[in-house]
Amino acid sequence: MKQRLTLRRPRITSILVAMVVGIVALILCFCILVFLARYRSAMVQNALTSTEQAVSQVSNTVGSYLQDMKQSMQLVEDALRQDEAGRDELLQAFLTFRPDVVAVTGYSANGELWDCWALERSPRQTILQNLSFNLDRARKSSTAYLTAPHVETIFEGYYPWVVTMTTPLKVGGRYSWVSLDLSFSSISSYLNNVGIGQRGYCFLMDTEGNIIYHPQQQLLYAGLKTEDTTTLAALEGTSYVDDTAIYCVAAVGDTGWQVVGVSYVDELVNRNVSEMLRLSFWLGLGILASALLISYSLSRLIGRPMRGLAAAMESFEQDADHFTYHPVDGTKEVRELSDSFGHMVVRIQQLMTTVRQEEVNLRKTELKALQAQINPHFLYNTLDSIAWMCEQGRNADAVNMVHALARLFRISISRGHELIPIEKEIEHAESYLKIQKYRYKNQFTYTFDVDPDCLCYYCNKITLQPIIENAINHGLDFLVEEGRIEVKVRFDGEDIVFSVQDNGVGMTPEQIEAVLRPGAQDRTGIGIKNVNDRLKIYFGKNYGLSITSEPDEGTCVEIRMPKIREGNYESK
Amino acid sequence: MKASSRAACAVLLAAALLCGCSQTPQATARHRVAIVAKSTQTEFWLSVFAGAKAAGAEYNVDLTIVGPDAEEDYETQNQMVKQAVEDGAEVLVFSAIDYENNAPAIDQAARDGVKIVAIDSGVDSDAVSTYIGTDNYAAGQIAAKTALDQMEGELFVGFVNYDVNSANGQERERGAANQFTASLRAQICATINTLADAGTAKADTIALLTDHPEINVLVAFNEPTSVGAADAVQELGLSDSVFLVGFDSNVATVDGLQQGSVDALVVQNPYAMGYLSVESAYKLLTGQGASLAPVVDTSTLVVDRDNLFTLDSQKALFAFEERSN
Repeated sequence: MKQRLTLRRPRITSILVAMVVGIVALILCFCILVFLARYRSAMVQNALTSTEQAVSQVSNTVGSYLQDMKQSMQLVEDALRQDEAGRDELLQAFLTFRPDVVAVTGYSANGELWDCWALERSPRQTILQNLSFNLDRARKSSTAYLTAPHVETIFEGYYPWVVTMTTPLKVGGRYSWVSLDLSFSSISSYLNNVGIGQRGYCFLMDTEGNIIYHPQQQLLYAGLKTEDTTTLAALEGTSYVDDTAIYCVAAVGDTGWQVVGVSYVDELVNRNVSEMLRLSFWLGLGILASALLISYSLSRLIGRPMRGLAAAMESFEQDADHFTYHPVDGTKEVRELSDSFGHMVVRIQQLMTTVRQEEVNLRKTELKALQAQINPHFLYNTLDSIAWMCEQGRNADAVNMVHALARLFRISISRGHELIPIEKEIEHAESYLKIQKYRYKNQFTYTFDVDPDCLCYYCNKITLQPIIENAINHGLDFLVEEGRIEVKVRFDGEDIVFSVQDNGVGMTPEQIEAVLRPGAQDRTGIGIKNVNDRLKIYFGKNYGLSITSEPDEGTCVEIRMPKIREGNYESK
Repeated sequence: MKASSRAACAVLLAAALLCGCSQTPQATARHRVAIVAKSTQTEFWLSVFAGAKAAGAEYNVDLTIVGPDAEEDYETQNQMVKQAVEDGAEVLVFSAIDYENNAPAIDQAARDGVKIVAIDSGVDSDAVSTYIGTDNYAAGQIAAKTALDQMEGELFVGFVNYDVNSANGQERERGAANQFTASLRAQICATINTLADAGTAKADTIALLTDHPEINVLVAFNEPTSVGAADAVQELGLSDSVFLVGFDSNVATVDGLQQGSVDALVVQNPYAMGYLSVESAYKLLTGQGASLAPVVDTSTLVVDRDNLFTLDSQKALFAFEERSN
């Protein structure tokens, strides 16, 4: 039973564990997914913000560099208004003070290089190409303008990268234009050192998307790297995130320069996300494991006493009589349940005993009542027979008859005991047969064949008499020839078998059935059925009555009962 | 209890799986790459190192850079290779001074489990995973072609080359020689093998020009020899009569180009060489070695007076990096 339960139906332990773990796993997965999605977007936002910050910082720095250049230009312009000596002195001081100013050059109206001020350097005699000044552009522009970074080409053996600012001067002066070459190295090394994350960087471009300066300039030049500057130029100061990188663009004042910050999603976001993923994975595993553990121990806490109770109920179901209840320990609820069950068991057992006792008592009372009733007809007939004998002067017969009747009564009463020695029962049967034989005017004979060893055993009283009565009434009454009744008592293994054999007309199967049917009664008041019932009540199903009958040959009734001695069954 | 043992099994299994999963993304230690160059002084090599450092930063590689003082000192180079292997380098980026005499050291390093990336100048070893550098033969041809395009009439060519055992120099010379010979109007008068040092090169070139006054085309095959040759031409006042084709960029040769002593420069792309060598090293270490081509040709650019100050030439000739000059 228990085995079957384990195999077919899952236990509460398994259900509970599966349910809790399943739900926890589901919730965990959901939470982790939501968390990671949120985390990733936060990280992207974060990366975007830090990129934007870096870009705006670079923009400020470059802006202040250019602002500084404008101020320097103002100084240079002021200096050029002085006379020649003051001019040279002022510019020399300025150049000393500002070592990052590579050169200041003045140009005539047709673009000739008039003068050049540089610290400890003078321009070469023949200048192949002067990248610091472009006459066409200078003529086109009415205000100061800025060039892209270029190499300073007017010196011998000195080719620094510079940014040039060219300003037109007042008409009529010695110079039409003045150019200021400011070293670009401070900006380039600054840009080289700007890091956004490990690999992120910033570069400069103009509004058309031409790269002004790029820390990986050489890679671009070598074709190992490209920047999609046209797309970036279209962004106009906003940000752009694609699968691998984050781009932020910021304008540098009104100079037309733009700072582009590039940072990598992979290193700023994905690495953190995967780290977080791993962390949450372990965390989730830990939670799952503890959920497993907790739900398991919880279900054990509930399940084990439940199983104990179930087992107890099962064994109670199988053998209610001999069941003794041991309380199951556990939580308060379980203990209450257990106590209730205990009380119930005790109550049921009490009820069962009571019911059984009442049933037996009822039957006994019934039997006693029946036994006490001697059929008035029989008594009347017998007494009538005795009277008739007395009238005829057959005193001896009358005495015998009275004796027999007296014995019959004595055994019938037998101080209320149900079980009497077989000897007494035989005596009773014999008394009855004697009376009947007188009454039937010797129409039948009877014999007793009793194993003397059986006599000391006990049997239910008035067992034989109803059978014999039946034999006389149904078997011999209609018989023409002399009837014969044979009563035998013998051992059959562990049992004692009484048999009453007659040579009467016999019984049909229907009659046999009718005789054993409840409610069948004969004149003595105790029917064959009653005998059978009594035997079964007292000794169980294996004992009782069996009838075999051959029409016109006779009937044999066998009564089987166990060997019992006085007192064995009296208590029942 | 059946249920409990099953549950325990499941937990263990899951744990084992997780362990397996989480093992893979563990960050590995930085890879170690050593560069053994021919020199650490010339602008060419400084530019190579700049590119290498850029790639090293990008790929998070632990980079060491060494090179001998003299560009002929292959023994010191072999010593440096050995030292790099002992120091635990996983990939050696190597530029051989001597095509043959550097080979045993490289083979030994390869036997010790170090992967080899050759740059600029090759070495006679099968262990080289990839060569990154100029197609030297083609560069030689370009040098010759430049002279042929700009000079008319009969050409008398003198070669100023460096160490005769250096693979790249010899390749360039071979390319130039073949190109000149094929033109049918040029003859190679003399070839000198001088030291890769401007002073020595200058002296040797002066001697060459003195011995062979008919020479009207000079080809110098690397940076120091170009500087030396330019100085020699300048000193002898032959700027107008001698057409000098040099290799690589240097302030001196750029000055020479403007003054007329130098007429053309074949400029290699050292930054790309450095960058690509470290990138290849990283690929070798991360199991992407199969994707590497055996030879990677970095571009060359011919700079003459006409295109000296175009933006491309500026970027090729003048690095942004601050140089000690």
